[in-house]
Amino acid sequence: MDQRLRHLAEQLDTGLIARREFLRRAAVVTGGTAAGLAALRTMASGQPKTKLRVWLFKSFVTNANDVLGRQIEAWAKERNVEVEIDWATFGDREPKFVAAIEAGNPPDLAEMHIMGPTRYKAVLRDVSALAGDIARGKGGLLPFAETAMKIDGKFLAVARYSMTTVFFIRRDVMETKGLKPPKVYDPDVVEFARKTQDPSKDLFGFGQTLNRSDDGDGFMENILWDYGGGSWDKDGKPALGTAFRAQNLKALQFAVDTIQKHKIQPPGVMGWTDVSNNEAYMAGKLVTTNNGASLYYAMVTKKHELAPKTQLVLTPGGPGGSFVGSSCYNWAIFAKSKHADLCEDMIRWVEDEKRFGEYLQVSVGQAGPVYKGRVDNPYWKSDPNFEAIVQNIVRSVNYGHPGPLTSAAVEVRAQHILTDMAGRVVVGGLSAEAALKEAHARVEEIHKMRRT
Amino acid sequence: MRVRVLAHAQGAAAYAILTALLLVVAFPFYWMFVSSLKSEEQMRSLTAMFWPSPAVLDNYRQLLGKTDFGAWYGNSIVVAVGSTLVATAIGTLGAYALARLKFAGRAFMASATLITYLVPPSILFIPLYAQIRTLGLADSLTGLVAAYPSFTVPFVTWLLMGYFESIPVELEEAAMIDGATRFGAFRRVILPLAAPGVLAAALFAFTQAWNEFLYALVFITNVKLRTLPVGLSTFITGDVYGWGFLMAGAVLTTLPVIAAYTYLQKYMVEGLTAGSVKG
Amino acid sequence: MATPAARLPAAAALRRRGASVAFARALGPDYRLGYLFVAPIVVLVLALVAYPFGYAIYLSMTRKYVGVPPVWVGFDNYVKLTWDGFFQRAVYNSFIFTFGSVGVKLLLGMAMALVLTRRIRFRSFWTGVLLIPWVAPTVVSALNFLWIYDYSLGVLNYLLVKVFHVLPRGVGWLSEPGTAMASVIAVNVWRGFPFFGISFLAGMKAIPAEMYEAAAVDGATALQRFRHVTLPALKNIIVIVVLLSTIWTFNDFTIIYILTKGGPGGATQVLPVLTYEIAFGAQRLGEAIAVALYMLPAMAAVIIVLARYMRKGGAR
Repeated sequence: MDQRLRHLAEQLDTGLIARREFLRRAAVVTGGTAAGLAALRTMASGQPKTKLRVWLFKSFVTNANDVLGRQIEAWAKERNVEVEIDWATFGDREPKFVAAIEAGNPPDLAEMHIMGPTRYKAVLRDVSALAGDIARGKGGLLPFAETAMKIDGKFLAVARYSMTTVFFIRRDVMETKGLKPPKVYDPDVVEFARKTQDPSKDLFGFGQTLNRSDDGDGFMENILWDYGGGSWDKDGKPALGTAFRAQNLKALQFAVDTIQKHKIQPPGVMGWTDVSNNEAYMAGKLVTTNNGASLYYAMVTKKHELAPKTQLVLTPGGPGGSFVGSSCYNWAIFAKSKHADLCEDMIRWVEDEKRFGEYLQVSVGQAGPVYKGRVDNPYWKSDPNFEAIVQNIVRSVNYGHPGPLTSAAVEVRAQHILTDMAGRVVVGGLSAEAALKEAHARVEEIHKMRRT
Repeated sequence: MRVRVLAHAQGAAAYAILTALLLVVAFPFYWMFVSSLKSEEQMRSLTAMFWPSPAVLDNYRQLLGKTDFGAWYGNSIVVAVGSTLVATAIGTLGAYALARLKFAGRAFMASATLITYLVPPSILFIPLYAQIRTLGLADSLTGLVAAYPSFTVPFVTWLLMGYFESIPVELEEAAMIDGATRFGAFRRVILPLAAPGVLAAALFAFTQAWNEFLYALVFITNVKLRTLPVGLSTFITGDVYGWGFLMAGAVLTTLPVIAAYTYLQKYMVEGLTAGSVKG
Repeated sequence: MATPAARLPAAAALRRRGASVAFARALGPDYRLGYLFVAPIVVLVLALVAYPFGYAIYLSMTRKYVGVPPVWVGFDNYVKLTWDGFFQRAVYNSFIFTFGSVGVKLLLGMAMALVLTRRIRFRSFWTGVLLIPWVAPTVVSALNFLWIYDYSLGVLNYLLVKVFHVLPRGVGWLSEPGTAMASVIAVNVWRGFPFFGISFLAGMKAIPAEMYEAAAVDGATALQRFRHVTLPALKNIIVIVVLLSTIWTFNDFTIIYILTKGGPGGATQVLPVLTYEIAFGAQRLGEAIAVALYMLPAMAAVIIVLARYMRKGGAR
């Protein structure tokens, strides 16, 4: 009885139920007995404030982080709870999650990126009701977001926003040469790069690393899809070196050719980490590059001189179509949490359109829509460059495409299988066929291990 | 005559080597320092490479004003000093016992001190965090103060073992003949003599604690309790690096340790001297 | 004559005392103070090292995903790793990285120590300055070097191309496999050689001046004095410092992870980085720990052998 009374008191405390409702339910629970009333009385006096542990993603958009932090604090005040917020960024997240989960000490609520729900599905709460409710109020989820959030038929997270990559072009250079934005990689991007670059002045046409990095992995995934290939078939079975072998070979060859044959890339590109192309572009050394909208954010907020000279366009495609992957940031509640109701309430609070709008306004295009209803938000018309961001998001696909998003697919991405494959050709001197075969074996192995 | 020429040549060679080493050592710090005084545009533009023009204090101002850098500093000091005291105390006692006292299992324990270094912290921290949590020390500076000795005590112990072994046994025997107990001899005779060694060991433990990143990242979730290395790492968000903050923060983080070492390093050398000879 | 009965209690008491004396002798004369003094270390090591370590060993023999209970697989992980090309490459790279770094650190440390034993002005100050790389936070130093090595904006290429005109264009220090490994070794050496230097310096200071004088009188050159006086006296220190540094370098994660993350194309992929990726990228904890522990028996054997060698060789 104690437990139920405590739960009720918490709900009253936080305003989730009205006082009358509380009294009614409490009476039912205590059975109107003297002992029950006594218990109620002692609890009424000594109820400590509920404490919620929330882990947020520290984005590079500091203003947006501030807005979110403030919104959560406001919610906490409304509901009379204490909130302990921890911020973790890209690299630090995983060790923290793994250690906390293994120690049995996860937070109540966490903001995760797209791999989160799949990775931690064993310890997350089923939030299908909440997710469905929220999605209904916003016109439904975009297809790629729905795939990412729904694991084994249930929603393990509530989608919030998405981040994508776009194709950056130096508009001034393009216009000087009288060119138009390229639509496909081969031959458009190659031609474009060749005509606009000037290596003697340290200006290169295309800056796309194939090194182990988010940039590299994202590009390799996209290019395989662009050639009609991919790592997985539509049933989620490995297809890298089997069903899609011919297409993948062409794609891999193209990727390698950009460095070795077409010579449109700067030297040293294989050693780039995620920050390198940002730095190179901002230093005026690249005409085009693929990157997340973070680069645009960095330039705009720092009033970089290249910001007004930059044009964002849809990621180019290939003979098999034009594809791009995006990440869907989301809210996940841990099954161990004793305050799931509160967590759900907080999610509703911050996802409220007005509040999300506030967040969106300061995000400089980073908080892409995941709900169909948010696609038409006028914010996206405030900068012509945002159009590419939105369009890329709307047509996004997930890891595993054309198959489902499986833990094996997540792991193949996390283990840099594709960039390792490219690296083996460019740096390791392997032939494309050999590298593809080697990578396929790794994909098979992961698939086998993850099936259990 | 030839001897003198040779001596001069050696002297010149020594100075040459010293200069080369100093350049190699100092240049990255010089670079860090100079970068911390540049604005972001300057850093990106490759102009005024070796001395900023103009030098700006913006990075420092923002670092100290707009971030929790001060809090991180305080936390790091608490953890580093606390864990150093713990590690030095534990290590000194243990080293004396392993070096001087005779009891069963001593030889095994002496070898075992170094074996603990074989375990890579990059793996150990997962079960260690579970342990810390069981002890109720998760998300507290106390947890770090308790955990850091796990990787500083072995070296402290080994170092002081050698040091104690080099102190002549006769000194303790003399003290005990005069009526002191074993413990009394330790406290009044040996410990003061071992001061340089203890100081060297403490400096080592302090440095390790000051610079530690992984445990501090995982064991602490309260943002107010962050230590410096973790705090600095928050300036890297994905592919956007806050170089200005990073360099300014790096300078301020490194300076006190450098100051301490420059001032105390002769004790460190002395402390290592007797300790190392006998191994 | 005392009755046997009367004798019995005394004899029993004597036997008891004899037993406890034998027990005490077995434990050693100083056992009370000894155990008291080592108690803190033992507790610390058991609680914070041995127990997690034991649990880690257990996990390495399981298939363990995050948040899911472990499933026993015995030596499966280890067997699989032995035949895994990526693991083999990581082992190879780890050896190259470790022995390359330790070797250069040994030489530089020796040079540093030799220089600092001479009577030069401000010697204390130089010693302090030379210690700086070792005391600075590794994360900070690694980031600093990442910036220095940068192809387009880094100062190293700037110096070589624009200032000294030694090269026509910059080098992708972290992007070519040959230079990548050398570049990360250089950072590790930069960070670690002061430890060698200060340890050797300390050892050299302990060598009595008379030994050098005697050698000089015997007509030994500087080089001979170094070989026959300095080196033998430093033998133990060299062994222990090389041993410690080898272990630390073998387990070094931060420098390579920040500079190359194991690339390009796996050229600098070492065991600690591989462990980290499998643990937090693939999230397969059992295998990750197996990678980390794979080399442990070999390294432990080396430590034990060397420790025994030193206990015997060092004067006691």
